[in-house]
Amino acid sequence: MTAIEKPVPVVNPWAKPFWDAANREKLVFQHCNACSKNIFYPRIACPDCFSDDLEWIEASGKGRVYTYTVVESNAPSAFVDDMPYVVAIVKLAEGIQLLSNIVGCDPHSVVCEMPVEVVFERLNNEFTLPKFRPI
Amino acid sequence: MKGIKDKVAIIGMGCTKFGENWDMSFDDLIIDAVYEAYEDAGIGPDDIDAVWMGSYWSNLPAPSQPLATTLKLDYKPVTRLENMCATASDALRNAVYGVASGACDIALAVGGEKLKDSGYSGLPTDDLAMGLVSTAPNTFRSRNFTAPSHFAMMATRYFERYGLSPEEGREMLAKIMVKNHRNGMLSPKAHFRMPISVELVLKAPMIAWPLGLFDCCGVSDGAAAAIVVRADMAKSFRPDPVRIKACQIAVGPSEGYLNPNHDWTMVKETWVAGQKAYEEAGIKDPRAEISMAEVHDCFSITEGVIYEDLVFSPRGGMREDIEAGTFELGGELPVNMDGGLKCFGHPIGATGLRMTYELYKQLQEKAGDRQVKNPEIGLSHNLGGTPGGCTISVNIIGH
Repeated sequence: MTAIEKPVPVVNPWAKPFWDAANREKLVFQHCNACSKNIFYPRIACPDCFSDDLEWIEASGKGRVYTYTVVESNAPSAFVDDMPYVVAIVKLAEGIQLLSNIVGCDPHSVVCEMPVEVVFERLNNEFTLPKFRPI
Repeated sequence: MKGIKDKVAIIGMGCTKFGENWDMSFDDLIIDAVYEAYEDAGIGPDDIDAVWMGSYWSNLPAPSQPLATTLKLDYKPVTRLENMCATASDALRNAVYGVASGACDIALAVGGEKLKDSGYSGLPTDDLAMGLVSTAPNTFRSRNFTAPSHFAMMATRYFERYGLSPEEGREMLAKIMVKNHRNGMLSPKAHFRMPISVELVLKAPMIAWPLGLFDCCGVSDGAAAAIVVRADMAKSFRPDPVRIKACQIAVGPSEGYLNPNHDWTMVKETWVAGQKAYEEAGIKDPRAEISMAEVHDCFSITEGVIYEDLVFSPRGGMREDIEAGTFELGGELPVNMDGGLKCFGHPIGATGLRMTYELYKQLQEKAGDRQVKNPEIGLSHNLGGTPGGCTISVNIIGH
């Protein structure tokens, strides 16, 4: 059986700054200069006011776990060797949220509202993924 | 008032045994379900004006033509549709709309799926399935998820919100699946006819914390079908047709993973589809007026949250109602009388019509040992997708 490769991000032009920053181990998101909303995931225009006056700003990288699960069983998948792993929704201090993994700890020690900070995992020569670890 | 209440009636239904039907092809399953429906209605293929056929994974890529050939529906209008796990409910909705519009008098809705020989246990995970829909936004909302893990995140947050310890929460959810197996033991066509205990559920291997093996439904092979006609014609076919009261679907914006305002202790699409269906059917007090429900228990937490989203229980009230036995077969509002997805099985594209099949048999007082006393109104709830982004169908039928 052919090994299943981990999927790589699909990058469109307006998301490219996010992935470029991740390669430099920076977590960035968009901010709307017209209505002051913080925006994630990357958009071509503000989803609230439709302004295209968006700028990229660096996140504190600090947040908390809103909810999570520990994946312990899987169909054939590129992630089988990673099990058990934590999938979580992380709310950042800046009011945006990401879907990511909690790493660097016992997966069963994760709880809701746990404070976490960003950490970067290199996927391959092209991509680095922002993940989170307990503070 | 707009809506299709009482304009269309079901005069025949069929459903195969769900399970590991190794000796049956997709076509065999469809034929069995549809011919049971023909026999039940006392009609044949020549009487059918139009067909809506649902399938999610099976029989791709051009199944409307094979279906027409398989069923010898030469030159009839046959449409294949897909709406994730709510596919069969949407096939019924389309057939009902076809009749209600006056475009046809007799329509067939059929759903089927053949999953057990896919080579997987369960469904392909997102890294495989999402290959079909790889887009830049999906890069941010998916990837190393499994189907159970989407729903598990709802359970984790629910426990947090309502102050349940993991042990309390898991035991509460286990009781839902114990109920569904107890009911499904009474269903001759169910896939997993075995009793389970709370202890067994809690001791089972973990799939996606806090959901263990018995918190998760399996997948099955199966098909189900319904024949619908103009309500004013229905009694010429049989003395006990069942009327359609409401067919609603709500499709969410799929941004729950990324929208900070999304609440993971509910499925908003269910609430919206439920409210619209209640309005269409003229239901003011769902808990009092609905006699029974078949709901999408793909995972234990899913059924629990449905109680609250459909206003059977107040917010945060699922535990009290589970403890009180409210949704047991002999309870105040029986839910998943035939065993639900968990025990009856879940062939994706057939499930919604299997739910309707049980409600239809119950309303005709033909549900055998599972018979609910004097049912008037039955509701089916079918969830396609995952919390954070799903299609919800709520269909209501009755006398």
